[in-house]
Amino acid sequence: MTSTSSPSRKALSKIACNRLQKELVEWQVSPPAGFKHKVTDNLQRWVVEVVGAPGTLYASETYQLQVDFPEHYPMEAPQVIFLHPAPLHPHIYSNGHICLDILYDSWSPAMTVSSVCISILSMLSSSTVKQRPADNDRYVKNCRNGRSPKETRWWFHDDKV
Amino acid sequence: MQSKPNPSSYRLIFSEVEEIGWQVLLRASPDLSSLAVNLRDEKGRSHVLEIALPWDYPLSSPSLSSDVPYMCELEWSDGSKLRDVVQQFTEHLQKLQEFWSTMDEIDKILCVLYPKKPSLAMSHRQISIGNDCSLLLYINACKPRSLPECRWFGPDSSIEMISKKWKRNYRKWKTDGPFHENLETLLEIELPKSSVSGSSKSDEQLDCGICYAHCLPVDEELGDCSGGEPDYTCDNPSCSKAFHAVCLQDWLRSISTTRQSFDVLFGNCPYCSEPVAVKLNGGKCSSIIQCFVWQLPFLFRYSGLVFSSHKLIHQLR
Repeated sequence: MTSTSSPSRKALSKIACNRLQKELVEWQVSPPAGFKHKVTDNLQRWVVEVVGAPGTLYASETYQLQVDFPEHYPMEAPQVIFLHPAPLHPHIYSNGHICLDILYDSWSPAMTVSSVCISILSMLSSSTVKQRPADNDRYVKNCRNGRSPKETRWWFHDDKV
Repeated sequence: MQSKPNPSSYRLIFSEVEEIGWQVLLRASPDLSSLAVNLRDEKGRSHVLEIALPWDYPLSSPSLSSDVPYMCELEWSDGSKLRDVVQQFTEHLQKLQEFWSTMDEIDKILCVLYPKKPSLAMSHRQISIGNDCSLLLYINACKPRSLPECRWFGPDSSIEMISKKWKRNYRKWKTDGPFHENLETLLEIELPKSSVSGSSKSDEQLDCGICYAHCLPVDEELGDCSGGEPDYTCDNPSCSKAFHAVCLQDWLRSISTTRQSFDVLFGNCPYCSEPVAVKLNGGKCSSIIQCFVWQLPFLFRYSGLVFSSHKLIHQLR
């Protein structure tokens, strides 16, 4: 099976569409602190700007997250990656893929784009060192054909950062 | 270290509360560092004003908070007292009357989807404009009668048409005209009105914790569940999240930890992680299965299996 960096772009189901509209309204009304949703007409792909929290290694650095929603969101997790350049972090690969359990095995429909964003920011904030994951080069090479991070079998080894 | 207020400052605060009247005082912290007063505006709306008194009061000004879209700038000088706080806040309420009457008008006439129970501070409303489209309005609290900021939601094709009309007509907004008529002029449509049946409106509608909708979409694929309301509630009393049984089934079936026994799915509530059991295809359990399920505790007890079957029975009852 071939795959592309954007998940199979099947249109959102009615349920997904409805839920995302509500999430977007909620976001417009009370956006999570440190995040900005870049307004587009595309409900299925959100680009979110994130600013590193003050007092952390990433203070006032700006990054962009790309959130793609599968046809059957929220039964499946959204695909969340950092757009280039991805922050230097022990759990973020240079191709933007993020090793964070809630994006894969631990996703639940009780989560929202907003709660995922907050988790990612807290992952950034708790980092004590700016470096790539140890297996960065091998992983990124494996993803060269445009594999989605959702097809990776992640092994969550560290719950501290 | 912040120094403790001396008895004379307590006396001062007491005398100032005396001035504004004890009947408006709602509560006060034991150290008198914060007070809450209840004030009514000219329309009879009640407003709770929280007043935090700094330790060096009245040298520094108190800080205020209340359920308002924006707070007034407190003017504070040497001789200022609590009475002045109340007076300035009352004037501020006066200023906000036009904002609240605009919001009331929207809530009363138009079909508001969200928020269902708006607070006085909320200056946004999402209203239905028909054809599966909705409009999120941000009312400017300083100029409530002016053209509001908007965002559209709905199918792309309809949105495109609506925003074209909006761009063409926005100059026709009349700051002295009724709000809903202005919207109708700009959108060139008749807006759906709020359902007047008071009873159904006051009933709190529970949305499904998974799809976020009250009613499922009307869709042949969903069979009997099409357009249905949430029909499953998490048993954990501190969670009690409502779901459409079909949504919960879809979720449970999409993860590998779910177990199935006959036509019942066993998994965990996505919100509180407590065990849940949902019968497949929703609806009521057939009487044969029900009989069988009633037997379960005995079967398991005698076969020596450790199994918490009360949960199952509870769900299928």
